[in-house]
Amino acid sequence: MQEPSAKKMICYRCKVPLVPEKTYFHYLGHSFFTDIPKCPVCGLVYIPEELARGRMAEVEQELEDK
Amino acid sequence: MGRVIRNTYSLCPVCLQQIPAQQVQNENEIRLEKTCPQHGFFSTPIWHNQLDINSWCGSLPELQQAPPCPAACGICAEHLRGTCCVVLEVTGRCNLRCPFCFASGGGGMDVPFMELVDALQRLAVPGQTLVQLSGGEPTLRDDLPQIIVAAKNAGIRFVQLNSNGIRLAESKAYVHAIAEAGLSFVFLQFDGLQDSIYEQLRGRPLLELKQKAIENCAAENIGVTLVPTLVTGVNLDNIGSILQFAFANSPAVRGVHFQPVSYFGRIPQPPQDEDRLTLDTLVMEIERQTAGLVQAKNLLPSRCDHPLCGFHGDFVMDENYRPTALSKAAKSCSCSAAKSVTAAQNRNFVARRWLREKPALPINEPSESGKISLSRQQSLPASQSDSKPAADLQNLNYFAKRVRSHGFTITAMAFQDAGSIDLERLQRCSLHVYDHGRLVPFCAHYLSSWN
Repeated sequence: MQEPSAKKMICYRCKVPLVPEKTYFHYLGHSFFTDIPKCPVCGLVYIPEELARGRMAEVEQELEDK
Repeated sequence: MGRVIRNTYSLCPVCLQQIPAQQVQNENEIRLEKTCPQHGFFSTPIWHNQLDINSWCGSLPELQQAPPCPAACGICAEHLRGTCCVVLEVTGRCNLRCPFCFASGGGGMDVPFMELVDALQRLAVPGQTLVQLSGGEPTLRDDLPQIIVAAKNAGIRFVQLNSNGIRLAESKAYVHAIAEAGLSFVFLQFDGLQDSIYEQLRGRPLLELKQKAIENCAAENIGVTLVPTLVTGVNLDNIGSILQFAFANSPAVRGVHFQPVSYFGRIPQPPQDEDRLTLDTLVMEIERQTAGLVQAKNLLPSRCDHPLCGFHGDFVMDENYRPTALSKAAKSCSCSAAKSVTAAQNRNFVARRWLREKPALPINEPSESGKISLSRQQSLPASQSDSKPAADLQNLNYFAKRVRSHGFTITAMAFQDAGSIDLERLQRCSLHVYDHGRLVPFCAHYLSSWN
């Protein structure tokens, strides 16, 4: 069984496959980028749970200091 | 004539009796003033108005009545902070005889090993405690590895060694033994980049030994934080050089912890006004001597202790060994200074930075030659620390990895002495000394009169 992020994702609204795209995040005055699935038509992005709970949460903790 | 801006309590520098005190605002400075019925009037500068003290301190409540400090220290129910770190003296012996020494080190004896084991078991909160093995000079003990093992066996999470580094420089085998025992990190006395500084403050040239100590710790993956004691007229002009050296030797060096000299324990003589280095002056000197690479706005007042007791700055070192500030926007809120953090939050934060990551591969020496070297210093770049970070630091994955491997702290702690002690500050101390079953706030434990 494929991991969710490895599955082919379809935009619910536009019915087209999401494609990985460099996307910027802003948090506490800092800006970061990583590739995440994005709809080439409407521009909505899909943030996989493992990214949100993993690397993004890790970076948030580093920036939140204490 | 100054204006009273805050009422507090202090101690007479001569008899150490508790007396009322006032913070008095003058044109260029704020002084702590107090009068002992028996020994008269005392006044010492505590702030040089280079930063706004109200913004720095936030809205802390003023003392409404005399606190039980320091008579009840140990710690009492009215103490306002938990224990962040515990200092445990393991010996009174020392291989230096420094003119300034808060512990009056040298000439003492080792604490019996079984007494230390008992102390470690009593002070340990399993999985949490950070203990600082201190002295005297702890590395004079051949059984230090066994003491570290005893600390780990007691459940102590982080074991810090406070050292002058002489034995760490002279014996790789000793460094290996304390690393194997489970030492977490070293606080290394490091007063500057000139031997003349060590000759004045420590009685002998030590710079080469300091570099060797860092190199030996790096080889064992032990993080080193440099601890300069700053003395007016001796090494204040080395603040920038020390930081520059530390940046260039990241990640072997994990940070710099400045300690403006305080006049307790062994001192040459009580201080004059011009001897006092206040936190605001230190912050501005850091900015000035690093040509803005480290900015004052990225050095934030302590929220674990009292804001007048210290500051911290959190950074990540880029591949050009330039620090990028991490804690900035979150602390720009005007209420941030008043918000305290728990001792546990602070402990976990500093330990995360001071520890070195476990290497996945054989340890890389911090320089290409495998030697810590002054030649690794580079001239300070003109760019500002909070300018747009290098593109690679914007890469989420790279940043997460880099901040773990090359996180860096700039911190300071302003200890209090008989002249400067403010009981409002003492009530918020989170650095405690283990003393026969009691945890005593650091500045209360080492307090000595100027009589």
